[in-house]
Amino acid sequence: MKNLEELRKIREEVKKSMSMRDGAHRGKIVVCMGTCGIAAGARETMNAFMQALDERGISDIALTAAGCAGFCEQEPLVEVEIKGERPVRYGHVDAAAANRIVEAHLVGGKPVGDLVFG
Amino acid sequence: MSNPTTEAGCGNALFAELGEFIEGQSKGRDALIPILHKAQDLFGFLPVDVQEFVAAKMGLPVGEVYGVVTFYHYFTMQPRGRHTVNVCLGTACYVRGAQKVVEALTEELGVKMGETTPDRRFSLTTQRCFGACGLAPVIMVNDDVHGRVTPKKVAAILARYE
Amino acid sequence: MYNPRAQILLCAGGSCISSGTESVRASFESALSRHGLADEIAIVNTGCMGMCEIGPIAVVYPEGVFYQKVQPEDAAEIVEQHLLKGRVVERLFYKQPSSDELAQTIGDIDFFKLQMKIALRNCGNINPEEIGEYIAVGGYEALGKALTEMTPEQVVGEVKASGLRGRGGAGFPTGLKWGFTAREQADCKYVVCNADEGDPGAFMDRSILEGDPHSIIEAMAICGYAIGAEQGFVYVRAEYPLAIERLQRAIEQAREMELLGGDIFGSGFNFNLEIRMGAGAFVCGEETALMHSIEGKRGEPRPKPPFPAQKGLFGKPTVLNNVETFANIPYIVSNGGAEFAKMGSEKSKGTKVFALAGDVNNSGLVEVPMGIGLGSVVYDIGGGIPGNKPFKAVQIGGPSGGCIPKEYLNTPITYESLPELGAIMGSGGLIVMNEDTCMVDLARYFLEFITEESCGKCTPCRIGTRIMLDLVTRICQGRGTMQDLQRLEELAPQIVQSSLCGLGQTAPNPVVSTLRYFRHEYIEHIEDRHCRAGVCSSMMWAPCTNACPASVNVPAYMAYVAEGRYEDALRIHMKSNPFPSVCGRVCPQWCIKKCRRNDLEGPLAVRLVKRFMADKSADYSDLYPEKAPANGRRVGIVGSGPTGLTAAYYLALMGYRVTVFERQPEAGGMLRYAIPDYRLPRQYVDKEIEGIRGLGVEIRTNVEIGADITIDQLRDEGYDAFFLASGCGREIKPPIEGVDLPGVYTGIDFLERAAKGEKLRVGREVVVVGGGDSAIDASRIARRLGAEDVTILYRRTRSEMPTNPIEIAEAEVEGNKVEFLANIDAIRPSGDRLEISIERMRLGAFDKSGRRRPEPIPGPRETRVVDNVIVAIGQRPDAEAIAAGTAGLEATDWGGIVADLKTACTGADRVFAGGDLVSGAATVVDAIRAGQVGARAVDQSLFPEPGKGYLWEDLSLPEVGVDAEREIDELPPVGLPLLPPEERFISVEVERTISDEEARREACRCLRCDYKE
Repeated sequence: MKNLEELRKIREEVKKSMSMRDGAHRGKIVVCMGTCGIAAGARETMNAFMQALDERGISDIALTAAGCAGFCEQEPLVEVEIKGERPVRYGHVDAAAANRIVEAHLVGGKPVGDLVFG
Repeated sequence: MSNPTTEAGCGNALFAELGEFIEGQSKGRDALIPILHKAQDLFGFLPVDVQEFVAAKMGLPVGEVYGVVTFYHYFTMQPRGRHTVNVCLGTACYVRGAQKVVEALTEELGVKMGETTPDRRFSLTTQRCFGACGLAPVIMVNDDVHGRVTPKKVAAILARYE
Repeated sequence: MYNPRAQILLCAGGSCISSGTESVRASFESALSRHGLADEIAIVNTGCMGMCEIGPIAVVYPEGVFYQKVQPEDAAEIVEQHLLKGRVVERLFYKQPSSDELAQTIGDIDFFKLQMKIALRNCGNINPEEIGEYIAVGGYEALGKALTEMTPEQVVGEVKASGLRGRGGAGFPTGLKWGFTAREQADCKYVVCNADEGDPGAFMDRSILEGDPHSIIEAMAICGYAIGAEQGFVYVRAEYPLAIERLQRAIEQAREMELLGGDIFGSGFNFNLEIRMGAGAFVCGEETALMHSIEGKRGEPRPKPPFPAQKGLFGKPTVLNNVETFANIPYIVSNGGAEFAKMGSEKSKGTKVFALAGDVNNSGLVEVPMGIGLGSVVYDIGGGIPGNKPFKAVQIGGPSGGCIPKEYLNTPITYESLPELGAIMGSGGLIVMNEDTCMVDLARYFLEFITEESCGKCTPCRIGTRIMLDLVTRICQGRGTMQDLQRLEELAPQIVQSSLCGLGQTAPNPVVSTLRYFRHEYIEHIEDRHCRAGVCSSMMWAPCTNACPASVNVPAYMAYVAEGRYEDALRIHMKSNPFPSVCGRVCPQWCIKKCRRNDLEGPLAVRLVKRFMADKSADYSDLYPEKAPANGRRVGIVGSGPTGLTAAYYLALMGYRVTVFERQPEAGGMLRYAIPDYRLPRQYVDKEIEGIRGLGVEIRTNVEIGADITIDQLRDEGYDAFFLASGCGREIKPPIEGVDLPGVYTGIDFLERAAKGEKLRVGREVVVVGGGDSAIDASRIARRLGAEDVTILYRRTRSEMPTNPIEIAEAEVEGNKVEFLANIDAIRPSGDRLEISIERMRLGAFDKSGRRRPEPIPGPRETRVVDNVIVAIGQRPDAEAIAAGTAGLEATDWGGIVADLKTACTGADRVFAGGDLVSGAATVVDAIRAGQVGARAVDQSLFPEPGKGYLWEDLSLPEVGVDAEREIDELPPVGLPLLPPEERFISVEVERTISDEEARREACRCLRCDYKE
């Protein structure tokens, strides 16, 4: 270790993967992963969210799974909740939609109107 | 003097390994305890001939080595059984009934504390606190810690070690 | 690869590993890969989370859901339910001991909420085997800051400003120690970390090394920089293989990243670290002994000065600090000493880690701000004592420390307050003990430890502690004398003054401290040959008999019942207790708490067997012990409750002419007038009183001593001696408005009038105030008298209720409600009903009984309109008249008689007193014991014979052998045979008698602890 800068660089790199443990999330994405959701492609959706968040270095959003929400028709179903705002539900979220949601809703702060349902 | 180590037939290779280890240590007196740890790892105990070997290699009087070996509980001059059953007698274990576990073990094995069963399967010893007080009472068989031991569980635990 | 969406943190502290973390991890791994989640979800091993009792622990992030006691088969469920479907697995949640509520996340658990983590900041939160994780949480920043931005003097200055004191035991200011060493001029200096954690019961050093080894490396490097040392040693116990392994790995990683080695952070500062393994010698925790051990010598201490700061390891200036002390250093350097000094008390700054163990629900590792109350650690964080048993004491500071009893639960934990109580902070072992711990035996245990660990250099320590051990052992074996006690007290200060090191100087502490608070236990061992905890087995007939105040020979009558010899069984009982039928119904059964069958499937149902055998005999007259010929002396007994009648029974058997005086119309005292007939039908009271009458005891009812006739007058009539046992018959009325209004009853008055068959006016809604037996009894009687809605208000919580939990449960089964933390502070008329004002309470500081004192919550009162109020908050004696009318008798300020509980002696010649009248309200079997004491006192005053044996002391084996080879099968205890609630309200006994078959089967469960061969 030659200087503090070097140390801090390592710190930032590892920190991303650990930030979920400090509990300070700005919001969360819940992907419904019941049998119906998985059949409809929720696994790919989940992977797409993970990738999208990672690419943009977003570490303050928790990504979690949930069971069947009952709207099997709309699967894969995703709920995005930013603290202090009303949760937004998206239906038929495929990988491309996941990317749009991350870009528009999580980065831009505006829900993706055409994907919202209910 | 009788030579239990070579009698047991585990002699030369182990001495060679110990000799090598000693070579790799610093030449100072402070290497003695790490060397004795290594020797006990190799031989299972520290009989007189091993102590003589260490003393000769380090250029120390045998009495000095003996003095250190006998000072520390961890070092033993008695051969051990294949498995060492260590009962924690730390305060937490004591308060939670370690004494009853001791009774059950001595009964089950038919030997007293500090002894080895005639078939050399188990040695029974006690220790002061393994630091697993949250699981009191605790026994350690070799390196496995068994927590919340009751007299009832003793036989089943021992059965796992052949 | 991208970042995982979830992480499973598995506690890989030593305790959780031995509970099975490794196989749980393997099971998680296979479940994750089976579901194709291996890339999405990471498993991270962490250090100890502190809740060792409930391991293996898994915490699932991002939600932070906390799972306890996770077994390999649970892992699949967590993966399938939680990680795949988002449904948490409630089955594995932790139940809070205080509220019985399930906690979902770490943040919900009291154990964690009340802690303040500095030294343990990373334990359980990072993977100790990954230096990256340590760096990610800010690790090595402090070292970088010190090396690049601070001078060594500034580092020492911050440590001084923090007020940090040595966490290993002595509490010496760390900054001063560093300053002294920094000042020394030498070619070479050393930093040594003492991880020879030898105090039995302390394991924080192990946890820190296992859970956050880099914090110690960083701190030691900082110390090296501050004092000018380039080499450090960590001296670790050989018993901590995992700590050694993780520390070794951490040192290697730090070397690879050049955080150890040469020119760290480009500052030109070099630092290296080596591990030295201890070899099992407690004395090596002493700094000079430890340094000898690193040098390869016998670990014997040497005199100080010179102090290690001048001449330490290899004769060079050395800083030697404990693991926990070092663990605080990075925080202090990063945040500044002033920030650290904000925590804690005036002279004890920061936090302290305690290893909480023994009889406590949440045993484990806790870190709390200095100055926190002892009781708060035991109850709020520790979750109290398993099975709600009474707290007895904590042992704090290991063998060199001392015990602190329940009277001091409010004590703030600081370096100053603990020595005042005869304890020390020590390394932070905090062992909680309940009533099952014998304090004399505890002292013996520590002395045994000390004699084994004394290095032998100083004679007073080597020989003196051995003599002390012999003395205490003798006391534990029932062979001790009061001279032994005196010798112990003489030896202790001599050993303290003439020993070289801390071990010897503190060696007598366990004896000094237990003698300070539990002298009465020593005296009981010596004078009464009695160990109240039931630990010292050589003076015990059997654990049950030892626990029984009347010392009933339980194993003997169990043996007879098992054989179907019921009359022989009763004969045994009659030697120590003439009330088998009464006790078979209402005995509190202290015996079963000590039953060895508790270690198997549950204690014997002693009371049910007793009740069965008593009911078997309609007439006891052939079953009493043989009566001695008349001795011509007359004894007067005041009060015909169980105490008075027991004394009368024994005195009659000894040949005395006994008359019992009773102010009520019928004999029996509380048995007749307080305990309701649904628990104790009157026919059984009558049966046992008739039996005693049959031995020639005369009972004169409707006579009140003091009012109708005085003791002195009776003496003139020819009585030779007296025993006063008039009990606690007067209700304590709270000083509140309206307590005398019509419709308000006191508990005793209500129960008595109900027992006499009076037609009591009870309305629909009744409120009972109190939490003892009479409150519960009154509530259940009120229902039987027609009340429909009965509520008990109790000012504390359920766990503090002094009554038998079964009684509370049965009251609830019958439909009564209990409101906790509630009290009334006024009763006002409201038409022909009553309006009560209810104040809500909360638990405040601890009182002398070790319970939390309830205090009213300020604010508006709640009012409620009810028909009746029954106030049952306690009883007291009313012996003022007797005391006033008898020369030499003295009344207590609560209406009792001043007398010695053990000898029954009062200030008046040949007038003795015992039972509730002297002790305050107690149980039936305590009353019977008091009767035995009274009988002995009377007999010894008239026919003195030291060493005379009495019937109740005559314990012998039954004529039923024991098959020592018998296999002990698991056999659950017989269930409590209770009537269904709907059949209870026609005034019949709620419990029934068990059958012959059940009784014999139950009696067979007895392990026959009386049989010792």
